[in-house]
Amino acid sequence: MPISREYIIKRLILLVVVVFGVLIITFVITRVIPARPELLWAGAHPTPEQLEKARKELHLDEPIYVQLYYYLADFFRGNWGVSWRTRQPVLQDILSALPATLELVIVAFIIAIALGVPLGAIAALKRNTWIDHVIRIVSVLGASVPVFWLALILQLVLSSWLGILPGAKRVDELVVYETGFKPITGFILLDSLIEGNFEVFVNALHHIILPAIVLSFYPFGLSARMTRAVMTEVLSELYTRSALAWGLPRRLVIYKYALKNTLAPVIASLGLSFGYTIIGAFMVELIFVWPGIGLYAAMALLSYDYPAIMGCVIVVAIIYTVINMIVDIVHAIIDPRVKL
Amino acid sequence: MIPEDVKIIFRLIKSNPVSLAGLIIVAGFIIVGIIAPFIVPYPEDAWGEVYHMERRFQPPSWEHPFGTDAMGRDVFSRVILGARFSLIIAVGVVGLALIIGIPVGLVAGYVGGKLGTALMRITDMFLAFPPLLLAIALAATLGRGLVNTIIALAISWWPWYARLVYVQVNSIKSLPYVDAARIIGLHPLAIMFKHVLPNALTPVTVQAALDMGSAILEAAGLSFLGVGVKPPTPEWGLLVTEGWTSINIAWWISLFPGLAILITVLGFNLLADAVREAGDPRLRRILLVGRKI
Repeated sequence: MPISREYIIKRLILLVVVVFGVLIITFVITRVIPARPELLWAGAHPTPEQLEKARKELHLDEPIYVQLYYYLADFFRGNWGVSWRTRQPVLQDILSALPATLELVIVAFIIAIALGVPLGAIAALKRNTWIDHVIRIVSVLGASVPVFWLALILQLVLSSWLGILPGAKRVDELVVYETGFKPITGFILLDSLIEGNFEVFVNALHHIILPAIVLSFYPFGLSARMTRAVMTEVLSELYTRSALAWGLPRRLVIYKYALKNTLAPVIASLGLSFGYTIIGAFMVELIFVWPGIGLYAAMALLSYDYPAIMGCVIVVAIIYTVINMIVDIVHAIIDPRVKL
Repeated sequence: MIPEDVKIIFRLIKSNPVSLAGLIIVAGFIIVGIIAPFIVPYPEDAWGEVYHMERRFQPPSWEHPFGTDAMGRDVFSRVILGARFSLIIAVGVVGLALIIGIPVGLVAGYVGGKLGTALMRITDMFLAFPPLLLAIALAATLGRGLVNTIIALAISWWPWYARLVYVQVNSIKSLPYVDAARIIGLHPLAIMFKHVLPNALTPVTVQAALDMGSAILEAAGLSFLGVGVKPPTPEWGLLVTEGWTSINIAWWISLFPGLAILITVLGFNLLADAVREAGDPRLRRILLVGRKI
């Protein structure tokens, strides 16, 4: 049993601490830094009454620690304020947008790992040959390309000019309407499979390809680079060299020993790249009109919809923390050397 | 870094065409960034406060190699001057992050105790945010502008340097020469700044220099989300964004500034890759001996 219950409990406690940290920092950003926080919360052109109402709602007349208490209490009650763009409670907006983003990010990660790990392994095996150089440039490109620019250019070329792939939205409303598709979980790909609605599935798959490819660039580059680095190291370890010296087939050594030991650190690094990818989703969703939390956050930023902005910031930070916790635990399960 | 390390890094970079390309790109970017205001063909267009109705949306030509934008401004001039702003942002973000991060890491590592623990816990709180998210939240509060962009990015950035310095200081402070300095009765501040800091500084400054590419990339992202620099500042991310609405009739407005970001950041990252390999003793051995596995 490589993983203990204490370890998981310890991680859960740490998770709570981190969430508190995130809340305190967002509190400082929204209530302590601005000279007049009510201006941020009362809408674009507030009337004096609206300002007064915002002051009351934020408890700005109270001392700062009382404000912090109300801030935390409101957060845990799920009272995250009302978006002035959609006129809906922020929490409700975010929860309904979340599946679209998760679906996009998951597909992007599948693409990234499916391409990045094999290419990184090939680069390590063909170290300092032209194949290695090409793979290295491509993978470094993934971390260097401005994701919004890539999205705009690919959308222009593949969608507007060539018309190969749809350049906006998750699925065609007409197909949804004609086939009577009803979402269950909000993950369209999953829902359409459950319902056996292949027309919607194919349509949704068609729509997700372009934004997912754009979004996969960063984790792809990272997984390829990580795989190359770790694989090089593993190949120089004594156990792989002695396995080769014993006369075991090279192929067997690579797949059975080297690649297996490469995967754990690669997975660990992908957890970190998740944070960057979900911020990339803010921009990609805005460009592809993908109705997820990224589009919601980007629209909120562009319209100075403050309650919505801070709601998204907190949710994304929490998701990031949870993902990293899961990754750490998975890492510990795969790699027994990780000390718990 | 001791000179021998620098020599090894340069040897590695020279031996690898890809790393060499990175070095050339970075050098080129810095030079263009410094001399940009003196070499732009259309200085008025570059700074942005003009309107040439007669030459809007012109495709690339000899006169305007990157075409003209919705206000008839020469995109090439704006991209060239953009290098200056990207350089300012990169140096500003990394510099400010170092100014905050180094003292925090130094005090936390050297003094330790409750103060050290408290400082590192605060650092960890900041690290709980995914990259760029904290900067977005801060930039949304501070408002648009060059200085605010730099502040927002630096505040989300310093914890990385604080951690790095902390780790360094922790391993240095128990070395015999520090003990010796303590025993002869030097003031703790003198030990901290004169004896510990200089030796902890190299890895963090190298890291910071290589992070400049990411600073440029993130600043561009902030601009795109409407919380970065203000128009008409010719910041590359903002230039891409300005071309978005007319991308179907004038692709060149967005294409070229985006390429400028891509190439510059690629240069920094290729260089970072080379330095990272040079810093890894095991890989260095393999590379220097040149033995195939």
